[in-house]
Amino acid sequence: MRRRLFIASSISTLAGCGPISAALSQNDGLRRVLASAEGLNHRLIGTRGLAREYRERDVDTNFRVNGFATPSDARYAALVAGGFAAYRLIVDGAVERPGAFTLGQLAAMSQRTQITRHDCVEGWSAIGKWSGVPLADVLDRVGVRAGAHYVVFHCMDNDGSGNLYYESLDLHQARHPQALLALRLNGSPLDPDHGAPLRLRVPTQLGYKSAKWVGRIELVGGFATIYGGQGGYWEDRGYEWYAGI
Amino acid sequence: MREARARSAIYRYALLTRVSHWLWFVAFVVLIGSGLQIFNASPSLDASDKSDPARRVLAIGSPAQGVGTTTIFGHTFATTNWLGWTGDGMGSRGPHAFGAWITIPGYQDLSGGRRWHFFFAWIAALCWLAWLVSSAAKGNLQQMLLRRSDLSKLWPMQAYYLKLRKTPPPHGTYNPLQKAAYTMVLFVVAPLVVLTGLALSPGLDAIANPLTVVFGGRQFARLWHFAGMLVLMAFFAIHTFQVLTQGFANQMRSMITGWYRP
Repeated sequence: MRRRLFIASSISTLAGCGPISAALSQNDGLRRVLASAEGLNHRLIGTRGLAREYRERDVDTNFRVNGFATPSDARYAALVAGGFAAYRLIVDGAVERPGAFTLGQLAAMSQRTQITRHDCVEGWSAIGKWSGVPLADVLDRVGVRAGAHYVVFHCMDNDGSGNLYYESLDLHQARHPQALLALRLNGSPLDPDHGAPLRLRVPTQLGYKSAKWVGRIELVGGFATIYGGQGGYWEDRGYEWYAGI
Repeated sequence: MREARARSAIYRYALLTRVSHWLWFVAFVVLIGSGLQIFNASPSLDASDKSDPARRVLAIGSPAQGVGTTTIFGHTFATTNWLGWTGDGMGSRGPHAFGAWITIPGYQDLSGGRRWHFFFAWIAALCWLAWLVSSAAKGNLQQMLLRRSDLSKLWPMQAYYLKLRKTPPPHGTYNPLQKAAYTMVLFVVAPLVVLTGLALSPGLDAIANPLTVVFGGRQFARLWHFAGMLVLMAFFAIHTFQVLTQGFANQMRSMITGWYRP
């Protein structure tokens, strides 16, 4: 009898959680209260330190594709067909000298290679060897104007409903020595599934920050007026802007 | 009134203990439900740094429509409707490791689960800290901690409970088994769960990489985090059983009002 009471009460305690929390999760006030932990985590952990760099033998030769696979739109297909010869990385917004860089120009800049772990928000991790141009070098080349606080990455893929992927970093995160505009993975040029021809790599934060298929980098004072206003595709869908945890 | 009550009952739990106990209970339930929601986004656990199928300890999945399986150390069990293929909280079933009836929120929502989890992780950690400081200051903590001299009394106490012995071994406020349980949960498992949770953060990993390394890497830390949760669940089950069987009303009253009738 007692045992039955115990089992019944335990199950009812836990079974109530789903429906109750489902109802509570729709409440905006509560949502804001719960999200307040993000600010605390951001202040305490932030973007200090360097992500661990691994050895050559730790690399996943078949690096798992995160997020969406190859973009399906015609514009991207045309770029792939042309070997990305028509690709330009646009850097504009609050900069002194807006630029449009070809892959050749980017490859001619000083390159950095880093073997780092990609931590997906879903919970899995993979290790890849990434090579490319430090983001800070590109920022220096265009000259960041006073008043610019964030770097927004506009991508070439949409989610099938017409929403384009984008991400953002603050200038402190953007100048992190491991924030990389990667052109190569494991010694080869990026393939379309992994973000060809250029993707961001931010190993100190979760994988969704490391935007693939970057076509334009825009320096802005704030991101409230861009798309959903939360600073990124997944951020607009409820994920934290600070993706360090 | 207060004096009359004082004669028949003793004031057993301080306000801070009671408040932190119930906050803890709420946090525990939320952390389990939201943790399982987070687990569902990648329902496998590897004893390695990066994900590695060769070192997979647990995998819950759905190899085909309508089928749920659980694989532990390479042995696969059919767990359809329990694990792997479960209710989605919207009236149908689908490929979800844990069913929506136990996850928070009660439908697939990783970002929602993360918000609940990180907020209540702070609540649980701050409660633990407040309770720890206050009990240490009042001297209660010393009575709860398992000491070397208690080790030889563990079996006699268990023998008493199993009715193999007529009297319990002499002890203070807490018996040796209580001390062992509280010491394990409060000072070994709870800190382990906090630290392994922190080890999953790429931001913290960049600051304190040794923390991730001592647990065997990020995926291994995820495995420890899950295992710690199971130990806490076991403690919760035994604790609830004891409360239900050892004078439920008296126990509940004492943890709500502080007054316990011996």
